[in-house]
Amino acid sequence: MKTKSRVLASVLALGLSVTTLAACSSNNGDNGGASNAGGNANAGGASGAKDTITALLPPVSPTYQDNFEQMAKDFNAANPNLTLKIEPASWEDMTQKLDTQVNAGSPPDIAFIGSDGISKYVQQGMLMDIKDAATSDMIADYDPAPMEYMKNGDGIYGFPAYMEAHALGGNKEFLEKAGIDYKSVQKNGWTYDEFREAIKKGVVKEGDKTSRYGFVFATAGVASKDYLNILVKNAGMPNAFTTDNKYAYTSKNFLEVLKDIRQLIDDGSMPKELSSVDAGKRWNMFLTGQTMITGKGLATFENSANKNNEKIDANDGSAVKGSIKADYIVLPVPSFLGQPAVTTVAVDGYVTFRGKKEPTAEHKANVVKAAYFLASGKVAATTNNDLFVAHITKTGRTAAESMTVNRNPDNVAAVSTLLSHAAPARPDIPVELGAKAIKLEDEVMIPKLQALLAGELKPEDMYDALKKAAIDAFGEDGVVKD
Amino acid sequence: MNPSKKSFIKRKFGGDAGWGYIFIAVALVVFALFTAYPVASAFIISFQDYKPLGSTFIGLDNYTETFKDALFWRSIRTTIVYTILTVPVALLLSFAVAILILPLKKWMQTTFKAVYYLPAVASGVALSVVWLWIFDPMESGIFNKLIGLFGIGNQNWLGSSSTAMFSLVFMAWLSSHGTSIIIYLAALLGIDTSYYEAADLDGASFLQKLRYIVIPCLKPTTLFLLVTGVIGSFQVFQNAYLMTGGGPDNATTMVGLLIFNNAFKYFEFGKAAAQSLVLAAFIAIVALLQFKFFGKEVEY
Amino acid sequence: MSLYKNYPDRSKGKLFRNGTIVVLLLLFALATIFPIYFMIISSLGDPVEAGAMNYSLFPSKISFASYKFFFDYSEYSLRWLFNSLIVAGSVMLSNVVFASMAGYAFSKIDFKGRSFLFTLLLVAMMIPYQVTQVPLYILIVNVFDLQNTYSALIVPGLVTVYNIFLAKQFMSSIPKEIIESAKMEGCSQFQIYVRIILPLSKTVLAVMAILTFMDSWNTFFWPFLVTNTMDMQTIQVGLKNFRFANTTYFAPMMAGATISALPMFVLFFSLQRYFLEGVTVGAVKG
Repeated sequence: MKTKSRVLASVLALGLSVTTLAACSSNNGDNGGASNAGGNANAGGASGAKDTITALLPPVSPTYQDNFEQMAKDFNAANPNLTLKIEPASWEDMTQKLDTQVNAGSPPDIAFIGSDGISKYVQQGMLMDIKDAATSDMIADYDPAPMEYMKNGDGIYGFPAYMEAHALGGNKEFLEKAGIDYKSVQKNGWTYDEFREAIKKGVVKEGDKTSRYGFVFATAGVASKDYLNILVKNAGMPNAFTTDNKYAYTSKNFLEVLKDIRQLIDDGSMPKELSSVDAGKRWNMFLTGQTMITGKGLATFENSANKNNEKIDANDGSAVKGSIKADYIVLPVPSFLGQPAVTTVAVDGYVTFRGKKEPTAEHKANVVKAAYFLASGKVAATTNNDLFVAHITKTGRTAAESMTVNRNPDNVAAVSTLLSHAAPARPDIPVELGAKAIKLEDEVMIPKLQALLAGELKPEDMYDALKKAAIDAFGEDGVVKD
Repeated sequence: MNPSKKSFIKRKFGGDAGWGYIFIAVALVVFALFTAYPVASAFIISFQDYKPLGSTFIGLDNYTETFKDALFWRSIRTTIVYTILTVPVALLLSFAVAILILPLKKWMQTTFKAVYYLPAVASGVALSVVWLWIFDPMESGIFNKLIGLFGIGNQNWLGSSSTAMFSLVFMAWLSSHGTSIIIYLAALLGIDTSYYEAADLDGASFLQKLRYIVIPCLKPTTLFLLVTGVIGSFQVFQNAYLMTGGGPDNATTMVGLLIFNNAFKYFEFGKAAAQSLVLAAFIAIVALLQFKFFGKEVEY
Repeated sequence: MSLYKNYPDRSKGKLFRNGTIVVLLLLFALATIFPIYFMIISSLGDPVEAGAMNYSLFPSKISFASYKFFFDYSEYSLRWLFNSLIVAGSVMLSNVVFASMAGYAFSKIDFKGRSFLFTLLLVAMMIPYQVTQVPLYILIVNVFDLQNTYSALIVPGLVTVYNIFLAKQFMSSIPKEIIESAKMEGCSQFQIYVRIILPLSKTVLAVMAILTFMDSWNTFFWPFLVTNTMDMQTIQVGLKNFRFANTTYFAPMMAGATISALPMFVLFFSLQRYFLEGVTVGAVKG
C-alpha cells in the first residue's frame, strides 16, 4: 500500500512530536548536578543546569548518520540546557569500542546495541537502570513486546528502536512456477515437510549441474548460528532456556532439527557448499536467479531487489551481472514437529550506561530524555521507514503517517503476521546462565554446526557433543531431558 | 649479544655507557609508559576477576582454568601449525624474490618491489572480502575455476575443515611477503661489495657466493624477520576471524581469537590476561630457540 | 662486482638469465596483485551493497560514482586524509630518529643492563595487544585525559620495539673498525651516530620510514578508540563508516581502500631512491 503523503497529516504529526518533546522536557524538572558541560553554548533560556549526553551510534539505516547534526540540533532546541554529543561508529567496530570503554569504566551515556548484549553489560555492572527515571508516558509509548527486550531482571536499560523479524525471502516468479501458494504460506505458515517439498520443486537442473537451488541460507562463519536459531525457535525451543531456566538444546527436538538441516542439503535442495555461503553470496544468488528462496530475510531486502530491478530496466550495465528481475516475497520460517511457529526477532535499541561514579538523578533524567528523543517520534519514524521495519511507538507511527514508503502490501501484512508470534523476551534468565550459554554456543555449537553443514559430522555426533558440553556447564539437572 | 666481544668493547669504549643510556632514553620512556605499564596492569589483572567497578583477587584461578581448557591447547596447536606452515615459507619466498630482483634494471626492480608490496598497503578488511570471493565454494569461484582446468572437482575451501587451514595459509603465502622482501633487499644492498670482489678473484660461483657471503651476512635480518614473523603469526586472528570465524569445528581457531573472545565477548578479562601471558611465555621460548640458532653475530 | 656474474651488456647469457627471472617474478607478481586488481576493478562499480556486487573479472561498466560517493559521503573525507598524514608523518619521523638511536646503542655501545633491557623490550612485544589495550586506554583517556587529540593518536607509537629491533639488527653488521677509527679521530658518540651510523644506515632507515608510515596509516583500532568526533578521525576510521548493517557498500569501500593506499604509493616511489642505492661501507672506510 502506497502511503501517500498528506499535508494535513504531516502538519499534525510535526505538531504532535513537538508537543511530545515539550511535554517530556517539562515532565522532569531538572536542575543542578550536571557532569561535564558541553562546549556549545545554549541558545534560548536554560530550564536547568547544563549537561552533555554522549551517544555512540552506528549507521542504523543508510541515511541515519547523515542526520546526526540535525538530531543534535533538534534535541538542543527542545532542551536548551542539554547537549547531545553523537559519536558515529560502524556496526562491527562499535561493539569493540564500547567494550573497551566499558572495561575502562568510562562508556558513553547511550549506545545503540542489540538487546541480546544487555545481559553481558549488566553482569559487568555498567548499565544504568532507568526504571525510576523513565516516565510512564514514555514507557506507554512503546509496544510491550519490544519493551520487554530492554529489561533484565527487574531493571529497564533503555528504549527499543525496532523489532525486526528474521524471515525468509522468496522470488515471486519462481514460487509461482513451483506451484507454491505463497500468499497462503504468508498467512498460515508451513510445516517442515511442506517446506521440504516446496524447495525440492524449486530446484532446476541442467544435466547433472544445479542451476537453481530451492533454498540458500547464509551460513558462512558465525552466521551459521542465525540459521540454527531461527529453525529451533519453530521446534518448541523459543529460547536456549526453558521457562524454568533449563538449557533447552539438549531436547530430542533439537536433534530432529539437526537431521533436517542435513536432509535439505542431501536432498539437493540446498547447495552442498552451504557452509561457506556468506551473506553477500547468497544475495547474489537470489538476484541472479540461482535460488528460489533465501535467508535470513530482512525487510530491507525488498528495497534492494526493487533497486536492482530498476537498474535492469535502465539497462546501463549497472545492474548486478547476470541478474534477473525479482520480486521479493517475505516468507515465514517452517515449523517443526507440530510445534507452533515462533518468529525470531532482533530488538535493537538505545541502551543506557553508567560510568564509575554513581550517576546523579538529574543526569539520569537527562540521559533518559536523550534516549527517548532518539527512540521515538520523528527520529524513530524516519529510521524505521528507511529500514522498512515496523514502528513500535505510538509517536513514531504518528510521525510516519506523512512519510511515503513503497512496499508490497502482501509483505507488510506478512511481517505483521510474523511479529504477532514473535519470540517473547526473557529478562528472567539469570545473567550467569546467559553468559554460559553464549560461551557454549561459540565454543561448541557453532563449530560443530559448521562441521555438520560441511558434511563432516553426523547430526547425532553434534547433538551428543553439545549435550555433553551442556551437562558440563549446567549440570545434569540444568538441562532438558526428554 | 656476544659475550666474548663485550670485554673488548668495554676496553675500547670505556666512557660510552652514558651515551648508551642517552640514546635509549626516549625509547625507554615511551616503552615504560605505553608498553610496560599496560603489560604490568595485564599481569595484575590476570590474578583478578576483573570488573570495571571493582575487581577481586582470585589467586591463580585464571591460570588453572587456562591450563585445564582443552580448547586453549587446541588453539595453541592450531596456531603452531599455522606458524610453521606460513612463516618459513613466506621467508623463503621473500628471500628468493629479493635475490632474483637484484640483477634487474632499476626501473624493473622498483616496479616489482612496488607490486609485491601492494598487498601490505591495502586494507586487510577490503582484501579479505576479495579473498572470500576467490575461495567461493561454487563453480563460479576463481579458485574452483582454476583447479577445474586441471580436472579437479569443486572444493568447499573455507567451509571444510580439511581445506580451511590450507586456504588461510595460502592466503598468507601470497599476501604477507611485501615487508620481508623490502627488508631483505635493503640488507642485500647493504652487503659490502668488496666481499664479492674478493670472491670473484677466487673464482667463486653464484651458489658459493650465496652460501658463503649472502646467507651469513643476512643472518641478523633473517633472525629479525623470523622472530617478528613468529610473534605476528602467534597473535594473528583477523584473517581467521573474517574468513572462517574459527571454523569449521574449531579447525582454524587461533589462540589470538580465543583471547579476543574472552576479553571482549565474554568479558572475562582476567582469563584473557592469563592466557596472553601463557601465550607470551610460549612465544618467548620459541624466540629464545631462534636466537640460539641464528643469534651469533657475523664476524668480519 | 656483485652477487651475479657480470655479463657484457646485451650478451645472450644475460638476456636469457634476466628473461627467466622476469618470467618467474611476473608469475608470482600476478598471483600477488590479483586481489588488488580486483579491489580496484570493483571500486569502479556502482555504489551498491555487497550482495549486489558483480562477481566478475572484468568491469561491465566503469563508473567513478564510488569515488564521488566517498568524497560526498562526508564533508570530512579530506580532513581524514589530512589527519592520517599528520599522525603517520609524526610517528614515522620520531621512529626513524629514536629507533635508530636506540638501535645503535643496543648494537654498538656497551652499557650495563643492555641485554636485559633489550630482552625486556622483546618480551613485551610478545604479549597480545588485546589485553594491553584496555590499560593503555585507561592511561591515555582516563589518566592523561587526551581523548580526541593528535597526542593520543601519536604518542603511543612514538617509537616501537619492532623498529628498535630492526635498526639493531642492521647496525650490528656495520664493521666496528669504522667506529673505532672515528673514536681515534676524537669523534664523540653523538658525532659517530650522526656522521657515520646514519649515512651508513640510510637504506634501513628508508625501509623503516616506509614501513612505519604504512603501519600507522593503516592502523584502525587505536584511532577509532580514542577519537570521538568525525573531524579527528583518521582515514581508516572514516572508511569503516561505509560498512552498514549486514551488508557493505562494496564499491565505495574498495574505492576508499584504493584512495587510502595511494599516498603509500607516492611515498614508496619517492623513497625508493634510498632503497636501491647500495651502501658502500668501503667508501666510508677508505
